[in-house]
Amino acid sequence: MSDERSAMLEAMNMKSVDDLFSDVPANMRKKSFRIPKGISEYDLIEEARKNAAMNRYEGYRKFLGCGIYDRIIPSSVDSLISRSEFLTSYTPYQPEISQGMLQSLFEYQSLISDLMGMDATNASMYDGYSALAEAVRMAFRINGKTEVLIPETLYSGKVKVIESYIMGLGLKLVRYRYEKGSGFMDLEDLSKKINDNVSSVVVENPNGFGILDENITRTRETVGNALIISYVDPVSLGLIKPPGEYDCDIAVAEGQSLGIHKSLGGPLLGIMSFKKEHVRKSPGRIIGESVDADGRKAYVMTLQTREQHIRREKAMSNICSNQALMAVAASAYLSILGKSGLRNVALRTASNMKRLIETFRSVKGYNPDLFSGRHFSDLPVQSRISSEDLRKRLLEKNIQGAIPFDSLLPDLSRTYGNTSFFSVTEKHNADDFSALKSALEEFK
Amino acid sequence: MTYHQAKYDEPLIKDIHSGTDYKVPAVSDKEEELIPRSLARQTLNLPDVAEFDVVRHYTRLSQMNFSVDIGTYPLGSCTMKFNPKFADSISQISGFSETHPLQDQGSIQGSLKIMYELQEYLKEISDMDAITLQPLAGAQGEFTGILIVRKYLEDIGELGKRTEVIIPDSAHGTNPASAAMAGFDVVEIPSDSNGMVDIEALEAVLSDRTAAFMITNPNTLGIFDRNIVKISEMVHKAGALLYYDGANFNAIVGITSPGIMGFDIVHYNLHKTFATPHGGGGPGSGPVAVKAYLKEYLPVPVVSMENGRYFLDYSAKKTIGKVASYYGAFNMLLRAWAFIRFHGSDGLLNNTQKAVLNANYLSNRLSKTFTIPFSPLKKHELVLSTEKTGKRALDIGKYIIDQGVHAPTVYFPLIVHEDMMIEPTESASRDDLDRYAMIMEDALKEDVEQLKKRPLNLGSRRIDEVKAARDLKLKWN
Ligand SMILES: Cc1ncc(COP(=O)(O)O)c(C=O)c1O
Repeated sequence: MSDERSAMLEAMNMKSVDDLFSDVPANMRKKSFRIPKGISEYDLIEEARKNAAMNRYEGYRKFLGCGIYDRIIPSSVDSLISRSEFLTSYTPYQPEISQGMLQSLFEYQSLISDLMGMDATNASMYDGYSALAEAVRMAFRINGKTEVLIPETLYSGKVKVIESYIMGLGLKLVRYRYEKGSGFMDLEDLSKKINDNVSSVVVENPNGFGILDENITRTRETVGNALIISYVDPVSLGLIKPPGEYDCDIAVAEGQSLGIHKSLGGPLLGIMSFKKEHVRKSPGRIIGESVDADGRKAYVMTLQTREQHIRREKAMSNICSNQALMAVAASAYLSILGKSGLRNVALRTASNMKRLIETFRSVKGYNPDLFSGRHFSDLPVQSRISSEDLRKRLLEKNIQGAIPFDSLLPDLSRTYGNTSFFSVTEKHNADDFSALKSALEEFK
Repeated sequence: MTYHQAKYDEPLIKDIHSGTDYKVPAVSDKEEELIPRSLARQTLNLPDVAEFDVVRHYTRLSQMNFSVDIGTYPLGSCTMKFNPKFADSISQISGFSETHPLQDQGSIQGSLKIMYELQEYLKEISDMDAITLQPLAGAQGEFTGILIVRKYLEDIGELGKRTEVIIPDSAHGTNPASAAMAGFDVVEIPSDSNGMVDIEALEAVLSDRTAAFMITNPNTLGIFDRNIVKISEMVHKAGALLYYDGANFNAIVGITSPGIMGFDIVHYNLHKTFATPHGGGGPGSGPVAVKAYLKEYLPVPVVSMENGRYFLDYSAKKTIGKVASYYGAFNMLLRAWAFIRFHGSDGLLNNTQKAVLNANYLSNRLSKTFTIPFSPLKKHELVLSTEKTGKRALDIGKYIIDQGVHAPTVYFPLIVHEDMMIEPTESASRDDLDRYAMIMEDALKEDVEQLKKRPLNLGSRRIDEVKAARDLKLKWN
């Protein structure tokens, strides 16, 4: 035992460390603890590197997306969120000593509200899927109605998370169709399914097919008073009409595209914005502006009476820890890119989509034209060979892509057999497309 | 040591106008050819700032933010320990950070191996049988756990009658909130005069309506409830499940475990016990472990291994489904894996002992000045009351932060008046503790009026929280 420990025990009139655990009965002591003994930092990092080397990522051309995107992250973003003042702090319970994080989060709320065209944004949710599920719960808190209309094109993963989140509420999920030709939402079907019990209608842009949905702007006229929940790709908003412009009530998104590494899908950033009148029903933390004793502008967590630590079982959500650091990353990203940067990233993505479609059109045995609607980042492609086969063979050519359609949209997989998703971002260039083309040509 | 935090009149990022200089590779296509006209965005407001000014802006803001790396941060229940830098290095290895969740499983064997090993370590630490790493924070872990209770009761045909979740009054707010989210009625029971579960009160509310009892042990008072085995018997006899809030795991790693105590479901807070950085509020990570009979209810996928090959296993037959997009906060899982590997069984036990030693040492000293209710023997944290000093916990907290250390958690748990909850963790040295105690004692030398003027040395003075809620301003325009 170190001298310090002995001295501390002595100060308490204790003889040994065991005295500190005299309240844990002997029959409750752990008898074995089968975890390897500790190792040095050097050995640890070597072991971690060896494990990392078992992953294959370097030297591959990647066409993977469907919610998580391989975008360019300015080095400044990583550098800023690595600052230990941000990284190793916690929820700003003492606002006077935490103004840095509070102002950063206030700016995040502002940047995202502007991007979404919405009135307000909370200080972050866990991830896109749970943000969507929480939006459904929030809509129920607002109007107490029990039916939720969701698109047939919603990834099954999103549906599953919604189902978990509403398990205790007795809500009913009803699917509305898409138009076979365009791939857009089927407004006629939606309007048939609208009734007085509908709490909310979930729309997506781009939708589960990766299509920019031109019908989305007609959602309000179709759904009447039902609340509109819109799930969007935040980068697409550099070019595309934001949810606020089609009278959306709650807008949600996965924020990973905004300067966050893929990291096998976590940590991510759940984005949630809403109309002003819904603020008090919203989940999560929220930062407000105020003044300090000297009359200087200052920021503080507000509307805490919605939250679990005060309202307990009546709280709007159980969220305590959120994704603050990821929110700072998104703010730094949006600030660095600015309006022109985000617009160009979106433009280049859409332009690369055009290249991707042309690539598939140019090789026999592939059909990238399943729909007439325009795609943004994600494209379903039908092939002669199975998706599984395509994926394996591409991998041999050092190309990662071909996410099986049925892994995301199993209920529609009968209609779209042998179909796989390929995705682009601003990163892709001519070399990527020609490599993809020559690989595809080899195994048609 | 006097402390002066940076105090900039830092403008909002939108009010800095040095001009965007970010470069994106050029595009030759016209917008009209690429996106539908009807969806074209007309106006977009984003800052117009040079990258260098963005860096300066956030660097200055960071200097107005207190953190573990700056000084003692004994925020009770939050386990603000040293976040080792080796975990930062490992988390930045691009083989980990650049993997996509939907890529071929054969190409992510290294990441799956890390997750598999972490699953094994966490099970061993808790003596539970099966685990999911999916939940993204402690609260989401609680919600997942209570959904498992729900699905299990449904299967055995008892969901209709078992509608109540019992929770002690000392519990964290997320516990009742999570239980209610999963559709249960919350029944609160008082603590006894020792700060432990009031056995009679528990007996009185346990019935065939009880779905689960949610507790943490040691509890939020830092007290180990030695009746836990008896409690477990009572709860199980009533046909209910016992849920363990693992936020206080730092007190028992290597000593005892929820499995031994008789719990059915456990969540961990990796950002507490296993030192993943708290990130100014998150990300967290809240894996959930269960006893064997609940294995089939876990969210999918979990990571399994066959013949040395790791894979995402979706086979759980009665799964509650999913609570998050993918497989958990991988980057946090990786850091927790690194923490456990570095410390090993010997180091983890050593950490537990030091954390408990530190809490008791501080409790012992502070008991001379403040009222520390309930048993003097603490585990990882202590809760004191400032009531008898005539000074408010809130005001003392503001004195404390003025000295360059973080205040304790205040006004939680709800059952002690004017309370401060202090969790030093194993990272505090004796000098840190002595200085912290001295600061708390010194706070009492100021009169109430002086204390009300605190803080003086920080990025801002006392903030008007009422105004923030009344004149709601949640964004810059
Ligand atoms: C006792 C206790 N339970 C649960 C939680 C919730 O954990 P999280 O913030 O990760 O959601 C906390 C966190 O502060 C806690 O202290």
